[in-house]
Amino acid sequence: MGRTSSLSGVSLTRWSKVLGLGLWLVCATWWGPPLSLAADAGKLVEKDGKYVFVESMDPATKLLLERAVKQGTITREEYEAVARESQERAYLLQPSFKVWYDRGFNFSMNDNAFFLKMRFRTQIRFTQRTRNEAYRNPGEAKNFPELLGVFGDYRANRSEDSAAQFNIRRMRMYFMGHLFSPDFKYYIQMRAETAENAQAPGGLALMDVNFSSTHLSWLNAQVGQYKMFFNRSQINSTASMQFAERALVQDAFTASGLDRRDIGITVMNDEELFPVNYYFGVFNGAGPSFNRLGSFQSEEPTQGCPGGATGGNPFPSPAGCPVNQRNLNANVRLDVNKLMYVGRLMWNIMGRPGYGEGDLAYSESPQLAMGGGYAYNPSINTSSNNSFVGIDLANLNFRRQLAAFGNGRQLGLGIVDYSTWAVDSVFKYRGFSLQGEFYFKNVTRHEKGLPCMNTACTVTAPGQFGNAFGWYVQSGYYLIPRKVELAGRFAYWDPDTHSGDDLVKQSDVSLNWYLNGTYDQSIAVTYSNIQMGTGGYAVGRSAPLPSASGTVPLDVRGGTLIENLIRVQYQLFF
Amino acid sequence: MNGRSQSAAMLVAVLVLIGLGCARIPYTTTVVHEDQRVAVRLQREITPAGYTHPVQISPQQMAALLRGFSLREQQRLPLRWFAEETPPKKLFREDELQVLAPQLADALQKVGSEERVYFEVFAPGMNPRYRRDVTGGWVAVHDQLLHLTIDYFHVQQPVTQSDPYDYNYPTPWTPEKTYLLYFEPGRFFLADPKTGRRSVDFREFLKTTSSP
Repeated sequence: MGRTSSLSGVSLTRWSKVLGLGLWLVCATWWGPPLSLAADAGKLVEKDGKYVFVESMDPATKLLLERAVKQGTITREEYEAVARESQERAYLLQPSFKVWYDRGFNFSMNDNAFFLKMRFRTQIRFTQRTRNEAYRNPGEAKNFPELLGVFGDYRANRSEDSAAQFNIRRMRMYFMGHLFSPDFKYYIQMRAETAENAQAPGGLALMDVNFSSTHLSWLNAQVGQYKMFFNRSQINSTASMQFAERALVQDAFTASGLDRRDIGITVMNDEELFPVNYYFGVFNGAGPSFNRLGSFQSEEPTQGCPGGATGGNPFPSPAGCPVNQRNLNANVRLDVNKLMYVGRLMWNIMGRPGYGEGDLAYSESPQLAMGGGYAYNPSINTSSNNSFVGIDLANLNFRRQLAAFGNGRQLGLGIVDYSTWAVDSVFKYRGFSLQGEFYFKNVTRHEKGLPCMNTACTVTAPGQFGNAFGWYVQSGYYLIPRKVELAGRFAYWDPDTHSGDDLVKQSDVSLNWYLNGTYDQSIAVTYSNIQMGTGGYAVGRSAPLPSASGTVPLDVRGGTLIENLIRVQYQLFF
Repeated sequence: MNGRSQSAAMLVAVLVLIGLGCARIPYTTTVVHEDQRVAVRLQREITPAGYTHPVQISPQQMAALLRGFSLREQQRLPLRWFAEETPPKKLFREDELQVLAPQLADALQKVGSEERVYFEVFAPGMNPRYRRDVTGGWVAVHDQLLHLTIDYFHVQQPVTQSDPYDYNYPTPWTPEKTYLLYFEPGRFFLADPKTGRRSVDFREFLKTTSSP
C-alpha cells in the first residue's frame, strides 16, 4: 500500500512538473512576445540599399571590455579582435531560419533565401432571397442554364419565391513567398468552398499555382495558373471587394469567356516602379486546371463523320458518311493547336490606386488610373455542332464554364471565336472611391449560316447571335475612415445584342464594417436587386426547337426574373 | 423607377459622395524629411487646434524630452487585466533618437498653429523585403506643454505602395493602436487644461537639463 502510494507520489510529482511546464509554455505563447527563433544577439539592418547583419554584443561584456581598454588592461586591437570573434560566434550560433506570425504564418530560411507565408481566408455568408413568380415559370434557362447528364441537356433553373441559406462562400488557403531569392516568387491558392447554387459539396481544389520572376523590373514574368491580367474587377481579389459578390456582368466578360483563371505565361513591368504598366499573356484559353486536349467531340469510325448521336445520321453530316452507329465512336480533339492571347495597358495617372475596391487606405492625395484590355480566344466549342439537345456527346467542361459565368446564351452556337475588350477607370480620394468598366464581346461563329434545327436545315434559328456588351459603375464612401463604408453599384448587361427583352440590370448597396481597419476581419451587408429579361432566342430553349427536343420550349412563358437578395457576410483573413 | 430617373439618382448620389470627400482625419501638407530611416511630415488638423507653433527646441533638447518617454500598449478587455501589469518599455533607443530628434526639432520650427508634426522611424522588418518595422506618432505644442501621441510602436508594416490593394493578398497598413505613455520625471507630466490629455511641461523640464 505504502509502496503504491510512494509510486503514485513520484508519478504525481513528475506529472505536476510536466503539467506546470506545459502550462508555462501555453501562457508564454499566449501572452508572451511573438515567437522568433532568430538569435537575439543581432539584427538585420538596411544600409545603402542592402541588408547586413549587425551583431550587438552583450552590453555587460561590452562595458567591461571598453573599461578595460580605457584602463589599459587590454589594447584596442585586442578589444576589436574579441568583438569580431564574438560577432562571428553569435552569427554562427543563430539559427538560419525565423518563424513568426504577421498576417499569416511566416517561415524565413537560409537568411531569407527561402520564404513561406501561409494564410487562410474564409467568407461565411447568410443569404435571404426573394424571387418573383417568373423564377417558378419560366425560370432561368438562358444565361445560367443547368446542364444535365453526359449529353448536357439544358435545364431551366426554377425555384420558389424565397430562400434562406448559410453558405461557406469562400475558404482559401494560401502558400506564398520566394525561392532562392526574393526575386523568384511563388504563389499557391487552394479552395475548399461551395458555391451558393452548387449541386454537390465542394472539395479541395487548386485555384492558383504560379511562379514569378521579378529580376528585371521592365520584364517581369509569371507562369502557371492564375487570374489573367485583363480587366479590373477580375484581377482584384475577392478579399477587397466593396460588395459581398461581384456583379453578374463582371463575371460574364472574362478574358477567355469561360473563367477568370487560365494556364499560361504573362510578361509585364513592375507595377511599383512604372506609372504605365503593360501585361501580355498567352494561355490555353480553356479555363483553370484544364487544357484543350481535354475537350473533345464525337466522331464516327469514319473520319470526318460526326458521331455520338442516336437516332440516325446526325447533321450537318458530310456526304458519304455511313449511317450513324450507337456504340462504336471516337472522341476527336480539334483545334488543339490554338492559344489565347491577352493584353492589358494601365496608366496610373495619379498615385497608385491599385486594384482593390474602395479607399480603405484613406488616400491623402487623389489616386486615379485607367486601363484597357483585349483578349482573343479562338475555337471554343459551345456544342459539337453536329447535333443538339440530348444527343450530343462531347466533353462538357467548356459548356459548364459558359453556363456558370452567365454566358449560357452562347451555348449551341458551334465553334466560336471570342474577341473581348474592356476599359476601366478608378478614382480614390479621402475615403471616396469611384470606378467603372465597359465591356464588349464579339462572338464569331465558324459556321456562317443560321443554326439548323433539323437534318434538312429547313428550320433554322430566327437569327444569328449578336454580340454582348455591359458596364458597371460603383462608388463608395467611408462614413468612418478605414472602418465603415457605404457603397453602391449599378450594372447593365446585354448578353445578346440581336435579342430583345434580355437585358440584365443589377443594383447593389452595401454597408461594410472593417473591424480593425484592414481586410482581415470584416462584415458586409449587401442588398442586391437583379432584373433579368428572359426574352430572345437561345438554341435548344426557344422555339423553333431542334428536332427530337420536344415541342414546348423552356421559355414558352416569358417575363422578367426579379430577385432581391440580402447577403450578410463575415470575412476572416489570417 | 425608370432608367432615366435611376441614372439621375445615381449621378446625384455620386456628386453627394464627392462633396462629402473632405478630410476627416489629419492630412499631410508638407513633407519635411523622408529617407529610409525616418520620415517627418506636417499634418493639418481637421478641427481648430490652436497650437502655439512654431516653437524653438534644439535637437539636443528634443532628444532629452523624447528620452524620458516610455509606453505600453493599451489592451482590450479582458486582456487588459493581465497586460496592464507589463512594465512600460523605453519609447526610443539612442540610435533612433539620433535620427529623429534633429528632424522633429526642425519641423517644430516650420509647423503652423493648426498643424501637427507627424513622424515615423523605420527599421528593417522581420522580412525586410516585404515589411519594415515602424514606430510612429505625432507631436504638438500647446503653450508650455508638449503633446506626444504614439500610433505604432515597432509594428510590422508593408513596404510597397501596392501592398494595400495587392490582388493576391491585399495588405493595408496595420491601423493605429492605443498606447499608454509615461514620462520621467513624472512631475513634468501634467494634464493639459485645454484638452485634458497628459503632456510634458517642456519648458520646466528643459530648465533641469544642461543647455545645448
